[in-house]
Order: sequence, then structure tokens, then C-alpha cells
Amino acid sequence: MDQPLAAPVPALPSAPPGPRVLRPVFTGNAREYFRIWIVNLFFSLVTLGIYSAWAKVRKKKYFYGSTTLDGDSFDYLGSPKAILKGRLIAAAAVIVYGFASQLYPLSRFAFLAVAFFGFPWLIARALTFNARNSAWRGLRFDFTASAAATTRFYLPRLILVGLTAGLAYPWFVARRHAFTLSSHAYGASRLHCEIPARKFYGIYLRALGIVIGSGFLLGGAAVLVLVGVGKTGIGLEGLNSPLVTFAIGAVVLYGGYGVAYAYIQARTNNLMWTMTTGPGVRFESTLGAWGMVRLYLGNILAAAVSAGLLIPWGVVRALRYRLEHFAVIIEEERVHEASPAVSRIDATGQELGDFFNVDFGI
Amino acid sequence: MSAIQADYFDGMRSARHPVTLLVNAARLKLVGQDVDLEYDLASIRMSRRVADTPRWLYLPGGGACVSGDNAALDRYARESALERRVRQWEARPAYAVLSVLLIALAVWFLIDRGVPAAADLIAQRIPPAVERDFGRRTLSALDGYVLKPSTLDGEDQRALREGFARLLAISGDKAGPLEFRASPIIGPNAFALPSGIIVVTDELVDLSDNDEEVLAVVAHELGHVHHRHIMRSLLESSATGFIVTTLTGDITSASALAAAAPTVLLQARFSRDNEREADVFAIDLMRRAGIAPVNFANILRSLEAQGEAKHKGGALPGFLSSHPPTPEREALAAGQDGSKAR
Repeated sequence: MDQPLAAPVPALPSAPPGPRVLRPVFTGNAREYFRIWIVNLFFSLVTLGIYSAWAKVRKKKYFYGSTTLDGDSFDYLGSPKAILKGRLIAAAAVIVYGFASQLYPLSRFAFLAVAFFGFPWLIARALTFNARNSAWRGLRFDFTASAAATTRFYLPRLILVGLTAGLAYPWFVARRHAFTLSSHAYGASRLHCEIPARKFYGIYLRALGIVIGSGFLLGGAAVLVLVGVGKTGIGLEGLNSPLVTFAIGAVVLYGGYGVAYAYIQARTNNLMWTMTTGPGVRFESTLGAWGMVRLYLGNILAAAVSAGLLIPWGVVRALRYRLEHFAVIIEEERVHEASPAVSRIDATGQELGDFFNVDFGI
Repeated sequence: MSAIQADYFDGMRSARHPVTLLVNAARLKLVGQDVDLEYDLASIRMSRRVADTPRWLYLPGGGACVSGDNAALDRYARESALERRVRQWEARPAYAVLSVLLIALAVWFLIDRGVPAAADLIAQRIPPAVERDFGRRTLSALDGYVLKPSTLDGEDQRALREGFARLLAISGDKAGPLEFRASPIIGPNAFALPSGIIVVTDELVDLSDNDEEVLAVVAHELGHVHHRHIMRSLLESSATGFIVTTLTGDITSASALAAAAPTVLLQARFSRDNEREADVFAIDLMRRAGIAPVNFANILRSLEAQGEAKHKGGALPGFLSSHPPTPEREALAAGQDGSKAR
């Protein structure tokens, strides 16, 4: 009856029990999520967006409740009213920006300054809201860095990135992921993450190699095709038109970028999780760049041919893929405790983030 | 009295305690190996049911119970009529199909009727000063990149300006000034900017056989000004973009873009409708100003011929792309449709 975590481990000094590898499992399916998604969409539409806050909570509750780790599902505790409030504030900010920047073009600089100094605050609020409203086994997660600490982390490093004309960017990404993960906690159990910057230089250099290499490869292939068609003299005059040249150029360019993007995503995710530890626990992530390319391509194609109706299928597929390549390795069985610091917080931060499409990288 | 299998967490530690929930009248008992708790049912908050995911009972004092026995828990759920409605919709495939149809209908209605009506309403209420400022800034932005100073001689410009003033006097619209610019990039073209500024390229004047042909194109642009197409289409495209991104905001931007492709087609239709309206206006205005509508057909033919010569049937120059097919417009100019159009 007792769960394994609490069971006394028999003392066997010669053969200590090996680490337990736990994989999160998604127990839902695309059909179920489609029904939730389409009803969410419908009610959001007929309420002119007001319901979207409730829709977000239902979607999150579905995914959290359908994901189990070590036999227990997750729980999402965010309040729709807090999310609605955040969305209304974000919408008001966008409208004010839209009008003010049209009427008083110079006010753009003021908005830019506010955005630059305010966005670490937004990030801290969003991460805190999300962490504290996520729970597993009755304990909430936490983001422990304050808005001030997040600002102190971001601003000097971003200025440095600017001063080095971006050369320090991979170093900044390494520090950013280490900062974000190290600031997360399950109950009172803090995570710890340290990533050597040279690893990210390796990732970004190889990504650059992918862009250049695929440019040569695809560009060469495109030239061969065009010359070949020209030689056969099929009379496809349209092929010489600027439109076709433009389309081929776009495929060559974006093909390379797409692969490089998937590569960076996969490698970054793998790196940041393998470099993270917690009390008695470490993590493993084994995403593949090609797997991500297939995933993205499949989802984009499916969404395009189905007028968006296959989007839920793509979302479930992406989640499954990510979970299959993620593992929690329990090296020492522990019972975790709640953080005494966790209190309520409103949703303003996160919703502003959603609205402005700030990428939080988690 | 009923028994429900559940897991209990005390909220302080991550240890799981399997328990049996016993409900008796208004009391809830939690019984397990090392758990024996009792609560008032009214003091417990139950999470809303989402599909068949496990549901939580949040207990006073920070503890919580979770159970996957949704059938049993449903009997104790206190949900509002609206919440029950949402859950029933989510549970039945027939409602999913109905939702798809209703969403398609609503989106069509919103984009086809709602957005143009709202854009029309807002466009009429934009203060003239704001629109004037917007138009001037658009022109100076274009001057920096695609437009160069005109090389037309003053006599040509004056003649066209006089013709323009005559058109304005007859139509009664507030528009202008008429601006001349050279633009090798854009080629023979004319376009209207917010607040009614009309730009004619030197290339268009060179292509035309006489001033009346240029004035025909100017009359067409006046049609856009008259019907407030410029501000309206700006508002329409941003509103449509907003609706689409809101609806598909669930996913990565690339697939959102893919799903938004159909709205691009809708935009093209908007602009064709606008062009037809401007054509009808132009023909009517030309008749009233004593300019033969055949001039409009002539300049359209010249533009099309010039476009074909340059691009071998490829992309058409700006004035013709996103416009109705030329034969249709020539027919309009010849009066076959013009007389019965509004």
C-alpha cells in the first residue's frame, strides 16, 4: 500500500539500488483535445474573447491532468479571472501604444524604454504565475527569483550582448537558461543548473554551418533543376519569371533556417536539462534535430490542409514527442516539502507575455 | 453513503496517501492507513471536470485529494448551468461538429460583414487632421525609397492639375493635392494615400496617349478616396489579422500562418470589390466631366500591353494586380455595365 517513495530502502551496502528512470506519460488523445479546443474556440468567439481566459485554464487543466509522472498527474491552479484581468491590461497597453505611436511618433522611444526596463519584470511575473499555479502531488512549483533579481540578471547582460554586436549572445543564452532553471523549485526543493558558455557557442556555430551548408546544397540543386528544365526546352516560360525565382529562393533560405532552428531547439533543450539537478534528482532530454524538423513540418502541413482543424492533433503530437524524449532520473528517493514562501499572485505578468509573444524559452 | 477511491496529499510533503472517501449526508470522511480526516462537504472546493482527467478536492488547511472516479464525483459537483453546458459540449462529438460549423459561420460573418462595417464606421470618425498627418508621413516615407522627383515639365503638370481640379469640382470630394513623382521601380502607376493625396508617376504620363487617359486613372483613384477605401482597407486588414491570430493563437507561429492562408484570399476579394467600386465611380465622373470613358479602356489596354512586354506574362504591374480582369473593366468603360451600375 505504501508508495515506493516512503518505503524504507533495505540496507544492502554491496548492491545499492540503481537510479529510477521516470518518463512522463501523456494519457489523453487528440480526439479528446479537439473537442475541448473547438468548444473553447466557439465560446471565445461568441463572447468576443472574454471566455478565452476560461478556455486557457481548461486547456491547461486538460494537459496537466492528462500528464502523469510516477503515477501521479499534474494540476493547474490558475484562476480564469486573474488571466482575464491580465489580458485586459495587455490589450489596453497595446491599444494605447497603437494610438500614441501613430499620433506622437516620438512616444515610441518612451515605449521602447519602458519595454526594455519593464520586460524582466514581465518575465519574472509570468514565470512565477505559471510555476506557482502548477502542482504535482499536492505541492506547488515556484519561481524564486524576484522581479528585481531578474532585472539585475537581464539588463547588464543584454547591454553586454549589444556592445559586443551579438558575439556574446550564446554566452547570454547559456546564462539565461541556467538562471531560469536555477530559479525554479518544486516545493522547497530548488533546482540547480550550470551550463558552460562554450557549449552554446558550439550549438550556434553548427547552426550557422547548417544555414550556409544547406544554402549551398539547396541553391545548387535549384540551379541544376532550372538549367535542366531550360535545356529540355519544355517551354515552361513561367519558370523564368521573378515569382518562381523568388519562391525557390525562399525555399532555399527558409529550409536552411528551419533546420537550423529545429537543431538549436533540440540541442538547447537537451543541454539545459542534462545540466540540471535537484535534490536526489537529475534530468535527461534526448530530442533530435531531424525529429523536430519532421514534427514542425508535419504540423504546419496538417494545419494548412485542414484549415486549422488538425491543430489540436499537432499540439498533442508535439507534446508526446517531447515527453517521450524526456526523463526524470531519481538517484535518491526523497519526500519533498512545500515552500513556506508561496503565496497568491495575479496573472498580469504572464498574459502580457503571451500577448506580446515574448519567448520564455521553457 | 458511497465510497470513492482517492489519493490524499497533505500539501506540506509530497508523500501520497491512498484513501477511501466516504460521503455521508453533508460530511466527507477520508480513511486510509495513516489518515483519518473529516470535513464539512460545504467547506471543500472541487476542481471542474475536464474530459476524464482526475479531479481534485481542495480541503481546508491546504491538503488535497485526487480521484479519477469522475462518475462518482459528478454526483457531488456543484457546477453552474453554464459550466454544465460547456462540459456537455466538450463531451459529445456532435457538438464538436456543430462548433466547427458555427465557428466557420461566425468567422465568415465577422470577416465578410462585421469587419467591413466596423472599418467603415471607424474610417468615417477618424479626425481629418490625423488622416492628413498619416497621408503626409506615408508620402515622405515613399519619397525616401521608391519615389523620385518628377521630371515632367511644368506645362504638362499644370494641364493635369487643372483637369484634376475640374474632376474635384464635379465630384465634390475633398482630395488632393495631386503629386507627380518619377519611379522606375513602380513603373506606370497612380495611387491614393490617406487623406486623399493622389500620386501619379511620370511613367504613367509617358505611357498615356493624352491627358484624358491620365485623368481617367486619376478619376479611378478619386473613387478610392470617395469611398474611403484607403483607411477602410488598412483597418480591415489589421482587424482580420487580429481575428485570425486570436483564433489560432494556440500554436506555433508558422502553423498559425499556414492556417491563416485563406484570409489572404479574402483580402484579395476585398480589394477587387474596392476596385470595381472605384471603376464605377470613375466612369460616372468622367461622363459628368465630359471625358469619354473609352479613355479608361485605352489606358488599361496600354498598361496591360506594357506589363506583358516587360514581364512576359509574369507578374503584372501594380495598377493591374489585385484589380478585376481588364476585359471586364473595358466592357464597363464601353458602357455595357456602366449605365446600369449604381
